[in-house]
Amino acid sequence: MDLLPALETGFGFWNPLIWLGVFAVALVIAYLIWTFGESGYKRGTEQTKPFISGNPEPAKGEVHLGGGHLYWGFTEALRGYYDRVVPLHTGVLNDYLLWFFGIAAFLILIVGLI
Amino acid sequence: MSLVDTALAVVLGTLAMAAFGFVAGLTVLGIDRKLAAHMQARIGPPIRQPFIDVAKLLRKENVVPENAIPWLFHAAPVIAFASTITILLYLPIGGIAPVFGGAGDLILIVYLLTVPALAMVAGGFASGSPYATIGAQREMVILMAYELPLAIAVIAIAWRLAAAGVAEPFSLAAIAANPVWGVVGPLGIVGFAILFVILAWVTPAELSRVPFDAQEAETELAGGLLVEYSGKNFALFYMAQGVKTIVMAALAVAIFLPWNLSDFVAMTPAVAVVADFAFFLAKVLLVAFFSVSLIRVSMARFRITQIVSVYWLWFGVLGLVGLLLIVLDAYAGVW
Repeated sequence: MDLLPALETGFGFWNPLIWLGVFAVALVIAYLIWTFGESGYKRGTEQTKPFISGNPEPAKGEVHLGGGHLYWGFTEALRGYYDRVVPLHTGVLNDYLLWFFGIAAFLILIVGLI
Repeated sequence: MSLVDTALAVVLGTLAMAAFGFVAGLTVLGIDRKLAAHMQARIGPPIRQPFIDVAKLLRKENVVPENAIPWLFHAAPVIAFASTITILLYLPIGGIAPVFGGAGDLILIVYLLTVPALAMVAGGFASGSPYATIGAQREMVILMAYELPLAIAVIAIAWRLAAAGVAEPFSLAAIAANPVWGVVGPLGIVGFAILFVILAWVTPAELSRVPFDAQEAETELAGGLLVEYSGKNFALFYMAQGVKTIVMAALAVAIFLPWNLSDFVAMTPAVAVVADFAFFLAKVLLVAFFSVSLIRVSMARFRITQIVSVYWLWFGVLGLVGLLLIVLDAYAGVW
């Protein structure tokens, strides 16, 4: 009897217990290397201030990265898509249900045709 | 396999792969630096320089910024290095089958590739530095960007192998045993060549190398998500990058260049293991040269918005073209 069977997904497979075992051993190796290194530093000196190219550190609130900007770069690059999609989010439940039923009907039609 | 045998395989396999990943990874980084230097008409550091760097970093102070979350700041490099090593156990190394090829497939590898990147993101956010925060935010965007072409390449390969009647098409051992070039016609070969190029261009983003290194961007963010890291924490991130270079190159070799020397030349099994291993290292170096060294020397850094456009629009469309050619090739074979 296989005590640690892999999970089958039809085509794919993986064994989470094996991965956890490997990860645990790898963590021990990494931790041993980490403990081998120097741990000391000069606490409470200029050394521990964040490096901002010599500029004074702004207030925490001024450099806080809000959730709305977390994916900036992605949303900016695909602005043509987001500019069309974001206005569709009206916040009205009826609109969302209409979209849901419309898309579901479209998919059923496609699946039916195929 | 009994529980004791499995436990032994886990411990010994992980130790062996950690040693291989450490030595091979840092050596490849050294060769990359040497080749890049020669292409820029410089002498460059000796090939053993990454080993010297790691030894020196381990002796340097390990500064924790005052705004940092210390436990997360320390845990991130340890997790990044450990999670990168785990991927090596699912990849064939020359003529040696994957240590746990039956315990994880290509989809698992694609997921595991995100773990070191997410550890770097966590470390960046835990640094409490504006530069590191921006770097971590960019790393997440880049991660999302290159997943699309990578997923298209993986799905296309597995679909074509399944269409050719290969059992377990997502298994690395099955992919290595059935070279993709042998199961397709001319259209499929063009399709796979496109996917090979896409995988080569995903590699520098996975490794945070130019032109996809907007998350570190030395000239702009002074190192980005690694700006506050020093000493042994930075050494572990550096070692993780070396191991990841081997992982990406070994993945490309397993999928697109799986042949062994012993397939072509008659030799004893003992010699075959050594010859196939040496041949594997040569292929890894070749892939690393074209997908890391050559690209980073010949290009400037993309802006973060350009990176998303490159991966989602250009490589996304190119990947779909490759997929279409492979599908047409499969149906042409049926007709």
